Amino acid sequence: MLKQNDCKFSLNKNGFLQAEINGENVGRVKIVCTQPLTNPYEYISVISMEDVEHGIIKNITDFDDEQRELILNNINSRYFCPVITEIASIKDKMGSFYFDVVIGKTPKNFMVRDLTKNIRQQGKTVTITDMDGNRYKIEDIDKINSKSRKKLEPYLY
Amino acid sequence: MPPKKMKEFKKEEGFPNDVKSALNKCGLNTDNLLCSLCTDMNRESEFSDCFLCFDEKGLYYAEGEITLPKKKHDSCDVTIDKIITYPIDEVDEVYIERNVSTARLIGKHNGEDFPVALMSFKCLREIDKFVYIFNAFKNGTDMNAMPAFNKDEFPDFDKKKKDKGIVFRLLAFYKKYLPLVAVVTFAILICTAFQIWAPQIGTRALFDDIIANPKSLSAPELLRALTILVVEIFALKLFKVVLDSAHQFLMASITPKVVYDIKIRIFTAMQKQSVSYYTSKYTGSLMKRVTRDSRNIYWFLINDLPDVIVDIFMIVGILVIMFNMNVKLSVLVLVTTPIFGGMIKLTDKMFHRLHHSHWVNDSNLSSMVSDNINGQRVIKAFCKEDFEYKRFEKASEKLRFAEQKLNMREATVFPIFQALIHIVSTVIFAWGSVMVVNGEITVGVLLSFIVYVEMIQQPINFLSGVVNRWARCMDSAQRVFEIIDSEPEIKEKENAVSMKNMKGSIDINELEFEYEPARPILKNLSLHVEAGEMLGIVGKTGAGKTTIALLIARLYDPKRGTVKIDGVDASDIKLSEIHRNVGMVSQDIFLFMGTIADNIRYANPDATMEDVIAAAKSAAAHDFIMKLPDAYETRVGSGGRDLSGGERQRISIARTIIQNPKILILDEATAAMDTETEGKIQKSISALKEGRTTIAIAHRLSTLRESNHLAVIDNGEITEYGTYTELLSKKGQFYNLYKIQNEALSAIGIGD
Repeated sequence: MLKQNDCKFSLNKNGFLQAEINGENVGRVKIVCTQPLTNPYEYISVISMEDVEHGIIKNITDFDDEQRELILNNINSRYFCPVITEIASIKDKMGSFYFDVVIGKTPKNFMVRDLTKNIRQQGKTVTITDMDGNRYKIEDIDKINSKSRKKLEPYLY
Repeated sequence: MPPKKMKEFKKEEGFPNDVKSALNKCGLNTDNLLCSLCTDMNRESEFSDCFLCFDEKGLYYAEGEITLPKKKHDSCDVTIDKIITYPIDEVDEVYIERNVSTARLIGKHNGEDFPVALMSFKCLREIDKFVYIFNAFKNGTDMNAMPAFNKDEFPDFDKKKKDKGIVFRLLAFYKKYLPLVAVVTFAILICTAFQIWAPQIGTRALFDDIIANPKSLSAPELLRALTILVVEIFALKLFKVVLDSAHQFLMASITPKVVYDIKIRIFTAMQKQSVSYYTSKYTGSLMKRVTRDSRNIYWFLINDLPDVIVDIFMIVGILVIMFNMNVKLSVLVLVTTPIFGGMIKLTDKMFHRLHHSHWVNDSNLSSMVSDNINGQRVIKAFCKEDFEYKRFEKASEKLRFAEQKLNMREATVFPIFQALIHIVSTVIFAWGSVMVVNGEITVGVLLSFIVYVEMIQQPINFLSGVVNRWARCMDSAQRVFEIIDSEPEIKEKENAVSMKNMKGSIDINELEFEYEPARPILKNLSLHVEAGEMLGIVGKTGAGKTTIALLIARLYDPKRGTVKIDGVDASDIKLSEIHRNVGMVSQDIFLFMGTIADNIRYANPDATMEDVIAAAKSAAAHDFIMKLPDAYETRVGSGGRDLSGGERQRISIARTIIQNPKILILDEATAAMDTETEGKIQKSISALKEGRTTIAIAHRLSTLRESNHLAVIDNGEITEYGTYTELLSKKGQFYNLYKIQNEALSAIGIGD
């Protein structure tokens, strides 16, 4: 397990996260979550761009504010997923599902095939993966409006 | 320095004119762009219009916004917020870094990375092309040698198929039986006409011509009129029963044939699919499509479709007669029709959703049961029965909830329909009575009107009830057509070459492959194996060894590069020829339901028993088969006898011997065996390798000693290549692997 004393994160001149592990500069690194859906901030792995793991951080709360912000920014950019705020319609055509949604304030449409595989509910969070592999998230199914929820409910498993 | 091939480079159309002029206004000359691309996200991860391009001077990234015109032929309004220029000498190469839901274009200069652009996966295919062209430009290689993208990865839906109604597609299956269908339709029409005409005789004629005027007829005339009426009614009913039975009999013979055709179409479509199709679909859901969905269609077609036709005819016929009898009362009936129509449409949508939800939960439960049955050994070994029970209970609970919701809706919606019909009928009776009192209509007309309203109630009632079954059938049909319409990823070219006498030389040139966009498995890999030679492939798990085998067998198509067999591109050879000539023995052995002999002769059903025994002997399988009570007739596979891993492997080797392939792929064929079994299997494998090109993938390096050449694969690339002794003396990666393995084996006394 990596503790704050074992590693130090910073941004390189191009804005990429780099790390110094046990006093050695290991260059660019990426932060990969072991439980990205349910618990993204615990047991997170520090991995080089060549896919060599340098170690695992048990909890980001073990780090000071500045270091925590660097780690969080990397996680947020790596796991960035547009958040659906409203579902205007879900049209079912020949086994393909056409979603018309609103992301923030921007309308967006995408197509999903094989719903059993591409819609996943984990607690209150629903993740939808479109045919290109893009993921969209509804952070709390109870918090979107009831019309949107009713449209999505038949497809939740 | 511009690359040699640049002059020949065929530029694509590039940005739309509106974007070009907006960029020009901002000082970016778009006349000489070599490649341009619109992306969909800005650097702050917001959906936005961004532009990437490069020319001989630089790589450019611009952020802005395109506002589409209100009228079709007007120009777009393009605003450019910023342009970032990277001088071409300061970008050595570009590559894609894949996040979970976004991709980043990264530039590299003097070994340092810098971010260029961010985009969603929607742009992956285009950005991949951009990266290829840019790097080819920088390296001076052929910029035209663009990857042949696998379009099926991002399928475009055939608009015609999409728009063509499911109903018509379903009915098209009846086309084959058109004469019979015509007879059935004719019988239905006549039958319905009789049914509609019956109240004209039985009610109106009886009341208005006989009962209302008893004094105008003498007793014998009255008797005669009554007898004629009874005979007419009886004849009509009898004729209707005969025609009814005839059309039901014919329909019962046509529909199973139609459903059989549908099942065959689904199964054929499934067989045409590539391996990736099966890995991306749950088995439970696929099985349900063949069994339950076709059964749903069957029940609707056999039970409900004839009645639907009858009822539609009946409603139209009754309305025509009603209008002939009295327009006012008919209008009243007609006014209620759109209300019913609207209600039917609403309930149809609702039931469609409920059925889908039910289907999904049911499929889920089936997949879970199938998982549970297949994983019984593991479940028992980990004492997880209770855990599995809870998982099952949770899934069952979801299914129960979906079922309950469906049933409750059924229980509330249909009585509402019936109540509405009763209300309409009562209103007509009341209004009609007033009209009789006023002398506007006769009693006979009112009574037959009431009969017609009652009569129309039955088809409307039925049609409202059938909505539910219709929705279920359409839901099922939709899934069935999804399979039928799926295009296989691996397709045979129209003018594919037949190679009857394949020798088996393999040329792999600059092969690149990925199962998912921007997650490369093989990178620029080249190999050559002479016909009859053996190539050993070693490497860590996940290095891409099996993928090479799958590409040689053309179970997948490469993203870039080629696999050539005897100098011919595998994609130009008939698929059947490749599959007949490339045999695979892998760690995962699958035996089909059937006897051992059936399984051995699977590749060649014409093989004689003598061939089967000879193959089993070569595969060192004969001895253990003969110890089984039913010998070669022992049933194996699902529901058959349990065989050990070694026994199953030997049967699979015998199966490959019967196939007699020119190219043999041994993919960790003995990895799961104990040393003694491995020894036996190695002998049979040696027999199998005789006279064939062999690609052997193995962890145990000693098994590759006979290889003519060895390739060490790491992270999708060849890191070492040479003979066994060459690689050992090189003291590189292979030597290290050999040393580690030998030390481990020496510790248990079986090392070299």
